[in-house]
Parts: sequence; structure tokens; C-alpha cells
Amino acid sequence: MTVTTSGKAGVRAIGSPVRKADGPALLTGRGRFLDDYSLPGTRHAVVVRSELAHARIVDVDVRAAAASPGVVLVLTGEEAAAHAGPIPHFIEPAARGGRHADVRCLATGKVVYAGEPVAAVVAGTRREAEAAAALVRVEYERLPHVLDADAALEQDAPRLYEEWPDNVILHNHYGTGDVDAALAGADLVVSDTIRISRTTTAPIEPRGYLASWDDLDGTLTVYGSLQNPHQLRWMLATSLGLDETAIRVITARVGGSFGLKMQGHPEETLVCLLSKLTGAPVKWIEDRRECFMAGAREQVHRFTIGAMRDGRIVAVRDRIVANTGAVSAQAGWAMPNMSATTLASGYTVPNVRAELHVVVTNKPPLNAARGFGKDSAHFVMERMVDLVARGLGADPAEVRRKNFIPPDRFPYRTATGLNIDSGDYPGLLDKALRVLDYDALRLRQAELRAAGRHLGIGLAFELTPESADGPGSFVSGFDVTTVRMTMTGGVTVYTGVTSPGGGNDTGIAQIVSDELGVPLSWITVVQGDTERCPSGFGNFSGRSMVVGGGSAALAARDVRAKLAVVGARMLDVPVDEVKVADGRLRATGDGRSVPVPEVAAAVLTRAFAIANDVEPVLEATRAYKPGNIDHVPDERGRIQPYPTYSNCLHAAVVEVDPETGVTKLVDFVMAHDCGVIINPALVEGQAHGAIVMGLGAALSERLTYDADGRLTSDRFKTYLMPRAGDLPTIRLEHQVTPSPFTMYGNKGAGEAGVGGAQAAVANAVEDALAPFGVTVREVPLSPPAVLALIDEARTR
Amino acid sequence: MITKNFAYHAPADLHGVVTALSAASGTAVVLGGGTMLVPDMTHGKTVADVVVDLSRAGLSGITLDGGGGPHDGPVADDGVSDGRVADGRVADGRVADGRVADGGVVVVGATTTYAHVLSDPRSRTLAPLLRRVAGGVTGGPQIRNKGTIGGSACYANPSSEVPAALVALGARLRLASAGGTREVAAGDFFTGAFATARRPGEVLAAIALPAPTGPCPGYTKLKLNESSWPIATAACVPGPDGALRVALGAVAATPLLVTLDPPEAGVADPAWRAHVREVVDAALAEPWSDVLADGDYRRRVAPVVAVRAVADALQQAEGES
Ligand SMILES: Cc1cc2nc3c(=O)[nH]c(=O)nc-3n(C[C@H](O)[C@H](O)[C@H](O)COP(=O)(O)OP(=O)(O)OC[C@H]3O[C@@H](n4cnc5c(N)ncnc54)[C@H](O)[C@@H]3O)c2cc1C
Repeated sequence: MTVTTSGKAGVRAIGSPVRKADGPALLTGRGRFLDDYSLPGTRHAVVVRSELAHARIVDVDVRAAAASPGVVLVLTGEEAAAHAGPIPHFIEPAARGGRHADVRCLATGKVVYAGEPVAAVVAGTRREAEAAAALVRVEYERLPHVLDADAALEQDAPRLYEEWPDNVILHNHYGTGDVDAALAGADLVVSDTIRISRTTTAPIEPRGYLASWDDLDGTLTVYGSLQNPHQLRWMLATSLGLDETAIRVITARVGGSFGLKMQGHPEETLVCLLSKLTGAPVKWIEDRRECFMAGAREQVHRFTIGAMRDGRIVAVRDRIVANTGAVSAQAGWAMPNMSATTLASGYTVPNVRAELHVVVTNKPPLNAARGFGKDSAHFVMERMVDLVARGLGADPAEVRRKNFIPPDRFPYRTATGLNIDSGDYPGLLDKALRVLDYDALRLRQAELRAAGRHLGIGLAFELTPESADGPGSFVSGFDVTTVRMTMTGGVTVYTGVTSPGGGNDTGIAQIVSDELGVPLSWITVVQGDTERCPSGFGNFSGRSMVVGGGSAALAARDVRAKLAVVGARMLDVPVDEVKVADGRLRATGDGRSVPVPEVAAAVLTRAFAIANDVEPVLEATRAYKPGNIDHVPDERGRIQPYPTYSNCLHAAVVEVDPETGVTKLVDFVMAHDCGVIINPALVEGQAHGAIVMGLGAALSERLTYDADGRLTSDRFKTYLMPRAGDLPTIRLEHQVTPSPFTMYGNKGAGEAGVGGAQAAVANAVEDALAPFGVTVREVPLSPPAVLALIDEARTR
Repeated sequence: MITKNFAYHAPADLHGVVTALSAASGTAVVLGGGTMLVPDMTHGKTVADVVVDLSRAGLSGITLDGGGGPHDGPVADDGVSDGRVADGRVADGRVADGRVADGGVVVVGATTTYAHVLSDPRSRTLAPLLRRVAGGVTGGPQIRNKGTIGGSACYANPSSEVPAALVALGARLRLASAGGTREVAAGDFFTGAFATARRPGEVLAAIALPAPTGPCPGYTKLKLNESSWPIATAACVPGPDGALRVALGAVAATPLLVTLDPPEAGVADPAWRAHVREVVDAALAEPWSDVLADGDYRRRVAPVVAVRAVADALQQAEGES
């Protein structure tokens, strides 16, 4: 892929809105996605899934399926278990003080959710495989099931994992301070409950894998729509009992992921095993209904917040019950941790206590999802702040201003231990209010209200810890990049980070362009291939520009240093009197210059002449570790796993129709600060996507199940994502507060929006319906839910 | 993916269609635009041995039938005609300077797509309500280009808009089979959720609408958001006597027809609104309930959309006069 640039000569690439390198390929239908890969003799797999939420498997009868036309193999859980072990967890719960459960590629013994893989069929075509899959007969002995997390906490609840004493995968406490004393001394104490419904990420491209086992040399090549090729290689080596070095994982272009395609899914091991057992390449493409099974979030918060008359918040207590569904090896179960530790967000609340129960139920597993639990923390925190403002009769903007961490107190350690690098939150608030024309809008609201119309304004602050590091896990806070220059000056960047479609490859190319002093068009970025790229960790937690970009910068500087030595000799000036820009190495004194390709050729072909005593490699591999990560517990046991904390202030304006409950989004503003911006177009694209994801969760998206635990919202006509017609023009404002702990002062960007948008809309709906006195206690605020709110307020 | 092989026919006329249906062995299905049928077959909800595709049968178009066309043989009311198969196409209707003569019949071919309704200027005068429905169909150009009026009628999805629009208009559905043609009033055609009076072997050839005489009917559609199925629709056709004929869609398994008093004191009048609530509530024995909205919600919003459709109709009438 070639990066094209709109940038002019002499203009720094960093900071300019360079278009995505793969834009032309995508727009002209030439993007190569997983389903576009085909190997000779490829066979097709279909997964047979449990129809029941909880049942013992009595018998799997595959005879009819095996005799069906074109069928090569029908694999049951028992047979799979003879060839593949449990799938290692992306984040092992037991290592975090939680409980372990074995997860296999096909269920053995019993099923714990409707949709769990119980058998697999391989056939010559997808159609033959689907026809045969319908013939697999599974006999079950039904077990009682539980879908609700509170119900699963009951003593006599059905238990998913018999070796566990209950259904709790993790129970923990977070926070410091004396919450009880602070609440006792508070002027205002508000307690309430908030329910966040289960949603999903629904990327445009579902998951898919193509595995090819080579029987002659005992190697496995896996193509996949995935985010973390190196972690997957380790995982497959473990579950399949192979050497890591015998496995190559290649990431196809990814059509969106939002965390869904982080590894740990049963089908990853399964498809590889099917290839091994059939001796043929095997492809599996997830269908849309399967994709809808992946949960993104589902929590209940029972909170108490205390504030003084002047608006100062003194304490927050939150009891969180998170429904993680059945256990999977994916990272989803760990998300609610962040819901707890991100409290009390960017506010100076000295006393915080969060108690967390992460509960397993017979719903399908949660999968990692953009926001990674932080979204729920902000939703709840911002609801709490609004309730304080309401209780005090204060302006919600001013209550936020009163409690923000002041710009001069960074780095700031929060009650739960996060060490926030930098920020100017009042600055964000000012920006958002100015763009909104807040005072005029409040007047307009009063006018409309007098005329019987219900306009509402909602604010929400959002803090996004990014670029996480988990000691001893593959959630890594650093990454690695190789920069290699050819004899003719062409540059290939091999990086350990991957792009799920957000375009960080373009951002990395911009960094290399500036650091190396060559045009963007000379640079090719290679990602997602365990054989070509250095060992890295792929994409998660807004890390790719921080650590992918940082390591690319270091490697590019090493290469440039070598060019400078030889180029200076060619120009006959001291090495500190040259600079490289626009593909030429220039003497700073008299401006004479030599093209970079000539210098590169000199390094590589005149190693015993002008480049004598210079090690003739135009290649460097470097790792970048940002600052501010600290795993040594402080005196109160708190650790600090994030280098950067992006932040933003959302403002939503809605109009609610109290006769139908329909909420119309009238305006949306986000003032955003992710430090120094490498590429504003990429940042804005991410922000738009995250905001819309939050708006969907706020107003319309919800996974629904019937009483038997079967998914009933498995199409886009039953799982309602927002469309363009539902959205106002989203207005973005940038503020730049550089991080002192990263290479360029940049912070992670990509997750901010999901939680803040939910909260801003919820606050706006409550504000719109203030004449009725409603209190928002759940999302999505679908029209029926809004009417129910009004009814409830009327009957109170 | 459709896993079972099936025979496929695309007859060149209606005669070919009914012949193919009567000759079919096993389960035969009629394919209109396929916007519902193809996904249903893909998901294994519908399994067919024979698919009869209407796309080449010439059943598309909107015409005004003044009488005497070849299609217009003796048609028994809800019975079988003399055995002659009607041709869904009719000679071009007479639309004199935009006005339609009283008593004429507008014939909408079964495979007329939403896009056709929108692009055919005659729909402005001949089928203004269908035009409004077509303009609001979600799913984008794909659905509007492929989805047919007849397909929506035959699918009889409680959440779709065409059924209630046909009931509001007092449409008659022309069903053809090898045995002949019969007409069924829209009010009798929709017998339940996803169920109609259409018999196996019958194809819907055309829909006959009384030619509009008054102003454009009022119409309201309530959805949860842009991607939602309609949750409640109301079409209001003012009668010559001033009474308001309102057909509610998506609120019950089948379209609900109510007659409302005109709002003498305006649509905001609480007494009139109470009347609407009362009438609608009494008619709505069993509200429709699905994943998107339960029956209670539909019961709540049914009178609201009725009021809004009436307000819209009155506004249209005002605009005309
Ligand atoms: C994304 C999407 C959005 C939509 N949005 C809306 C909306 O906003 N409002 C709305 O009202 N509807 C909406 N629909 C539904 C749409 O109206 C129907 O899909 C369409 O009109 C059905 O027509 P069709 O020709 O495609 O039917 P098909 O799928 O071809 O057929 C549907 C059924 O009717 C039968 N059938 C079709 N034609 C005949 C015939 N002439 N005689 C006998 N049987 C026949 C078929 O056998 C099948 O059982 C939407 C659908 C989709 C997929």
C-alpha cells in the first residue's frame, strides 16, 4: 500500500489531515478482506450451536450430517478435546484474583449459553456445510438457567461452573478514603440505580479465519480478521500443542472490530484444528446472526453520592454488578474492572468506594468492546453529577467546573489510583459551552417549554485512560517497530501494532516521514504478520499511535542518524550541520543537498569507501515504552497501568416528544483533548464513530433474549443502530494539552465518546422532561422506555 | 445461505405464472422483489421446492381503468370469475388535467415497486397515499428498487405499511389462479399476522383502488429510529360525509379501521382527543407486540398517530382548497 499525501514540500506530515492510505483501495472495492483470501482446495466450515442456554449434552448424532453431500468432516466436542486443549485466556481471571474456567473450541459435557459451539462441519462448499450442519442432532438434558446477574447472585441460583462456589468470576473493592464519614457530613446525599443494557459492537465485517495446515513440514498458516496476531499465535500454540515458531498468523484487512476481534474466540482454535484434521485449508466466516451474540456491556450500578451545598462532591459509593455472560477466553470479562477503577473520573472526589461483582450467567459471553468498561463508569459518574446539580438546584455545568481536577494539579492521583497525566477540563467546558451558545440555548429552552415543547441539554465529561499495560499479560504498554530503507530510498515500516480500520498505519507513516525526512509516498507500512513484523501486541486500548508511533519514531531516528553520517561526508560538512527533509539531505550552511536515495546507496554499496566504519544496515528495530506506568503498589495498594488520559466534554441537545417518547437529537458538540494530534482527520473519524456508538447505546441499541436465553435481536431490524437520519451534524472542537509522558505529547484516541455520549443524552432527556420530574435510570432510552419514565414520574 | 435446491420459473405473463403454480409439485412460492422472501429462504424460515418469479410477468404499473379493458372481465365478488385469467396490465388510464373522474378504478400491478411509485408522475393523482408510503420506506434504494406493493401485501407483516394503506383506501386485491380470478376486499384479505386470504396456487396480480376524488389522505408513521420497523401508522381518508376513515397499521396483527368524528374544535381539543382515544382503544382488542415494542406501548401511541393523521389530512385538505 502506498500512502499518498496532500501535504506540500516542507510541511510537516505530523498534524496534517493526511487521507487514509488505504482509502482508494476501500473506495474502489480493492480492499482485501478475509473472505477475499482463497487457497487451492479450501474447504468451508460451519459451526453447530447450542439451542439451549444451559444443558447437559447427552448425545451428538452426526451420522446424517456425515453422509450429507460434500461433507469432509463432522467434529464433536469430545473428539475436538482429544486434539486440542483449553484455550488460554487473554486475561486469566485467576491471575487477577478471580476464578478460572476452561473454555474449549467445542463444548464438552455441557453447554452454558444458547449459541455455544457444540459441533463443526467441514464440506466442499459453505452451502453443503450449512445443509449438513442442520442435520446434526444434539440430545440435551435441560438444566435450569439464569440470565440476570442479580438473580445469578442468589444463593440458590443455577450454577454455570460446578467447581465454583457461586457465579462470581471476580469480586473486588476499589478506592480510598472514608466514604461513610464523608457521606454522613454531606449536605446532599443521592442514592439511585442505573441499568446499562447489553449492546454489541456490530462491525461491518464479522469475524472470519482461514487456516492452512501443512502436513509435510508441520506448519500452520492462519489468515484472520483480527487485532492481535502475536497473541493469537501464542494462544493457538498453547491450545493446539504446537511450537509458536511453527505458526504464522496474517491479519487480513479488518472491516471494523471495536475490540470484538481481539483473540480468545473458540472458532480460532477450531478452524485451525479442522484444517489439521482434514489436511486442507479451512475457512470459516461468521454470519451476522452469530456476530450479534457478542455482548459489549451490561451492568447495574447502585450508587450513593454526597455533596456540599457549594457543589463540592465529597464521596461516591458504587456497587456494580456486571453480567459477563458465560466465560470465554476473550478479554470481555475484565471490562467491568475499568468501570470501577475509572470512578470518580476527572473530579477531585477524595472518598471513593466501588464494589464490583462480575457475574457469569447463561447469556453469551461479553467480548472486549470499545470503551472497555470505562464507558460505563462515565455514564454513571455523569448521571451522578447531574443528580447532584438537580438536588442543589445548581447549573450542571457549574457543578462540573467546581469539581474538575484543576489544570495546575497534574499529574493527579485519583482515589482509585489512576495517575492522570495532564489536562485542562475547565478549558474543555468553556469550549463546549461557547460552541453551544449555552446561555442563549437555555433561554430558548425556557421559551419552548412555555410553548409545551421539551428541549433538553445534557453535558458529560469523559476521561479515557488509554494504552494500558497489564503485568504478566499480553496487554502490553509498549510496542515495537522496524524501519527499513532500501538502496533506492524506499522505506518499509514493520510494526507490531495493527489497524482495525481506523487508519493508524497512515499516522505511523506520517511520523516516519517527518522523522526520516522523506515524503510520505516513499513509505509503506506493513502490519499484522507474525513472520514479517517484530513481536508486538496489535491493537487495543488506544495504544497504536502512542506506542506504535513512538517506536516508529525511534527506529526512524536511528536510520536517519546513519544517513546523516554518510550524507555529511558526501557533502563534506560536519554531521551536525546536515538535516534531512523532503527526501534530501541538506547542508544547513550553504544549502547544498544530496538526494536521500544516493545516500542510502552509498551506505549500502560503498561500505568500504565513503561509508567506511559505518555499520551498513539501513534498518532499525526499536521498542517504545511511554512514561507514567507504575505497577509497584503505592502505600494504599494502588497501581497505575495507563500512560495517558484523553478527555472530552460532550454536550447533547435533544427534543423529546412526550406523547410518543421519541427523542430527536438536535445538536451534539464534543470538545476533545487527546494531546498533540498526529492526524486530525483520523482523530475526528474515531471520535465520530465512538460518539455514534454511544448515541446508539443511549437511544436504541439493545440485545434482547427470550425467556430461554435465545437471542431475539439478531438482525439490523431488531438491533437498532443509528442511521445518518438519526444524527445531527456532530461538532468537534479540539484542545491540545500535551502529555508529558509520550513521544509527541499525544494521547490515545479512539475510545472517547462511547460513555460520554450515552451520559450526555441521558442527562439531556432528563433535562427535557424536567417538567414531569423524571429520573433516568436506564439506557437505551427507547420511546417505550421514555414513556414509562413519564408514567412513573406521574404516578409518584 | 439457501441450502436446498429448488426449481425456478420466471414466466413471461400472468398465464404462465398461474400455470407454473398449478403445475408445481411440492411447496411453491411466489417471488416478488424478494426483500423478505430471499432472507427468509436464506435463514431457512421458508423452504421451497419451486420458486415462481414475477419479475418478467409484466405485472408492474399504475393505470386508471375506466372500464372495458381486457382485464376487466366479469369478476365475481370474492369468488371465481369465468375462468379467464386477468392481465394485470391495463390500458393507460385517462388522467384529464390531473383530475380523476369519479368512479374509476386505479389498478396497481402487484410487482409495482416503491421506486416505480415514486418515479411515476401518475401516482401523484392516482395513488397519493401509496406515494407517501413509498417515500418513507426505509432500507434505502435497495429496498425501494426491489420491494413491491404486492409483496408487502402478501407478506402481511403487521409492521409493514402497505396493508393498512390498502385498508384505508378500500382497495380490492385481485387474486389469480389456474381456476380463474377473484377479488377480495383489503379488509378481508388480511386475516392475521403474516396471514392472508390468498390460497395456495393463487398469485396477487393487481390491486384495485377506487380512484381518488378528494384531497390527499393524511398519513403518519411512528418508528423508534430510522432503522426501526414502523411501530404505528395511521392513514386518514376523509369521507364525503365528513366522517374520517382512519386505518391504523402495525398496532395489531391486522390493520385496524376506525371511523372518527371530525374535530369540530380543532385537533387540539381535549374532548375530541378523548373521543379518538376511546374509539381506538375499543377497536384495539389485542395490540401487536414484538421485540421492538410491546402491546402496551402500541396501545399508548395508536390514538396519537390517529390524531396526527387526522391533523395531516385536514392540513392537506386546506392546502387544496
Ligand atoms: C431493510 C428493509 C426495510 C424495510 N422498510 C420498510 C418500511 O419502512 N415500511 C414498510 O412497510 N416495509 C418495509 N420493508 C418491508 C418491505 O415493504 C417489503 O419487504 C416489500 O414491500 C415486500 O415486497 P417484495 O416484493 O420484496 O416481497 P417478497 O420478499 O418477494 O415476498 C414477500 C412474500 O409475499 C409473497 N409474494 C410476493 N409477491 C406476491 C404476489 N404478487 N402474489 C402472491 N404472493 C406474493 C412471497 O411469496 C413472500 O411470501 C422493509 C424491508 C427491509 C428488508
